[in-house]
Amino acid sequence: MYSELITSINSAVTNANATLVTPGEGEIGDSSVLINPESVLEVMKFLKPLYNALQVISGVDYTEYIEVCYFLAHFDPAAPKDVMIKTRLKDRVAPKLDSICSVYLAANWQERECYDMFGVSFNNHPDHRRILCPDDWEGWPLRKDYKVQEVYRGMKVNPENKMNRDDQLFEDNKQKGNEADLIAWALSKGL
Amino acid sequence: MRDERLTFFGYFRNIYTAVKSSLIGMWITFRYVWGKKPVTVEYPEVRDVLPDNTRSRLYNDALNCISCNMCAISCPVDCIYISSVPRPKDLDVPKCDDGTPKRQVLTQYVIDTALCCYCGLCTVVCPTECLTHTDDYEYSQYEVADMKYDYLSDDLIAWRDRLVKS
Amino acid sequence: MQTWDMDLEELKEEETNLPGTKLKTELLTVNMGPQHPATHGVLRVEIKTDSEIVAQAIPHIGYLHRCMEKHCEAIDYRGVIPFVDRLDYLAAMSQELTYSMAVEKMLGTEVPRRALVIRTIVSELQRIASHLMAFGTYALDLGAFSPFLYAFDEREKILTFFEEISGARLLYNYFWIGGVWNDITDRQLGYIDNFLNGFEKELVKYDKLVSSNRIFQERTMGVGTLSLADAHSFGATGPVLRGSGQAWDLRKVDPYLIYDELDFDIPIGEGQRGSELGDCYNRYIVRMLEMVESVKMIRQSMKLLEPGPVIGKVSKVIKVPKGETYTRTECPRGELGIHLVSMGDKTPYRLKVKSPCFTHTSILPHIAPGQMIADFVASIGSIDIVLGEVDR
Repeated sequence: MYSELITSINSAVTNANATLVTPGEGEIGDSSVLINPESVLEVMKFLKPLYNALQVISGVDYTEYIEVCYFLAHFDPAAPKDVMIKTRLKDRVAPKLDSICSVYLAANWQERECYDMFGVSFNNHPDHRRILCPDDWEGWPLRKDYKVQEVYRGMKVNPENKMNRDDQLFEDNKQKGNEADLIAWALSKGL
Repeated sequence: MRDERLTFFGYFRNIYTAVKSSLIGMWITFRYVWGKKPVTVEYPEVRDVLPDNTRSRLYNDALNCISCNMCAISCPVDCIYISSVPRPKDLDVPKCDDGTPKRQVLTQYVIDTALCCYCGLCTVVCPTECLTHTDDYEYSQYEVADMKYDYLSDDLIAWRDRLVKS
Repeated sequence: MQTWDMDLEELKEEETNLPGTKLKTELLTVNMGPQHPATHGVLRVEIKTDSEIVAQAIPHIGYLHRCMEKHCEAIDYRGVIPFVDRLDYLAAMSQELTYSMAVEKMLGTEVPRRALVIRTIVSELQRIASHLMAFGTYALDLGAFSPFLYAFDEREKILTFFEEISGARLLYNYFWIGGVWNDITDRQLGYIDNFLNGFEKELVKYDKLVSSNRIFQERTMGVGTLSLADAHSFGATGPVLRGSGQAWDLRKVDPYLIYDELDFDIPIGEGQRGSELGDCYNRYIVRMLEMVESVKMIRQSMKLLEPGPVIGKVSKVIKVPKGETYTRTECPRGELGIHLVSMGDKTPYRLKVKSPCFTHTSILPHIAPGQMIADFVASIGSIDIVLGEVDR
């Protein structure tokens, strides 16, 4: 389906190393094009005439690598088409990508969200800040190994009295009390 | 905002169109003075009748509950606290209204209504249909902690006649 | 009108003392929101103003961030639907539709014919309800109060119908994976038919009252113009893109549900009544015309309704096979996309929501410079954002 696209990407951009990703055995869903993370900017520059809109940049944390997916679409009723371009970042400590804000204006906020949620920093981004979380929040929330910080600006995050712990409290009380009494109490209500 | 050179006639045409369109609008609004029924109700005195399948306050008819935990599992916000112990072997197993045996003794059934999102997923999975949405919507409390309803307490069991739709 | 193309660096250089005096001019920073009636929720826009002219607008979002995407990674597939509802709370049915379509695509579930038709009817009614809200609040932003009440009167009738079929007024949980929850009865169909007959007359009234009003036109025409090239580059969809003059509608180019059997047009902005292509008036008029098309669509699909089951075969515990999908549908505010990654568990591995409002909010800094503050309010209203969907 994307074979022509892949050959044209590979011929236009050296070291793009574009390959087709299809659902494997027992898997299901859409296929996509995997490219080399260093060549993202060149590939997007090449694809801009073919696909005039960037829909979304979505990140997925697969624990061994972070995948960043670009969904491109061509808004033309005569020839609608779309493609999912993926790239994989092995470095989990400080993942880096080239910003594509110069190609698609939509990338500005989408990349900020990707940075906010996955910690992927984008080189040459005009406004490289967090977007949904506060600026001084720690950690990258949508990573699988995310731990909520304990204290934020002197305030306790998730304080004990706000946690939903009723089940546990009941179980604790039950341990203290006599189970036979509990059953007798319940039976007296006709349960 | 439109860039057009204002002419002498254009000036008066502007006034004419502005006054005319305003008058049309005022006429439409003015017709609401009579002949239109009010769309609101005077709430405490008059109450809307809610539809049959309305999803308001949850009520668990604890006497028919078999402690299967399905509601607590399906709840997306984990607001149902249920616990039970196996029924001692020397006692007979009572049955629900629809004949399902109650093999567990229900010891706790609490719903934190403040957390509940009224999605209705718990009522769908209930095998004996003892957990239902009622059409009671007036249960505000002064404190959040009071929104936890213990369905095993005597006063809540007594609500059954009022709340459960036959 | 004076064009205001200089960027902030140039403006800083201008902050020099006026010759011969100790006076100096500088930009004034005004915070609009988070509690501001014209920002449609908790949007905060940091505006740098030069007297009444906006020199720069920086939206700050995140005040309604509820970590929905993270929460969904721990909830089973059925339990996600109430969460998806709460994204765009004014068009909850459309959000449910996209999510359930994404899961059905992964599961390979066949949705019964009657459920498809009901979904079409309901999502078009939801489009009308959402556009009515946009119309009413937009008129309210620009100083007209009574259209808001008239729009709410009609919207109330749709919500009453939704309440009857689903049990809730705003957050329905009505579209389930594999179909819909409850069937629609003939009495309810008669109610919709009745509503549509009355609603067509109301639309004529709205046109007379607001669309052709000279004051309203002066406030919206030529304000907040977005060119087609910029709209593409920003990834704008829905009424914002169509207001810029392109007939792009997923219901036509990539039909889902039963849209391929229906006969309808795609209304686009074409500079109606002497407006400028892509301005606030065009975006507004596209919404009004879309309501007319929705009425047509509901009438046609009500004729296609045949008896049958409303929910397909779905296992009790949903386990989606490994894989990923990107599903998009045409919501009232634009294209909503769901990127669903599954690892074969009971819960989604990753659920990314591409929200049209997020994309459209990012257009604001682009169209703001050079506007009066009051016109900026008109621009925010015309792109019709819901902050629940922006912040997720």
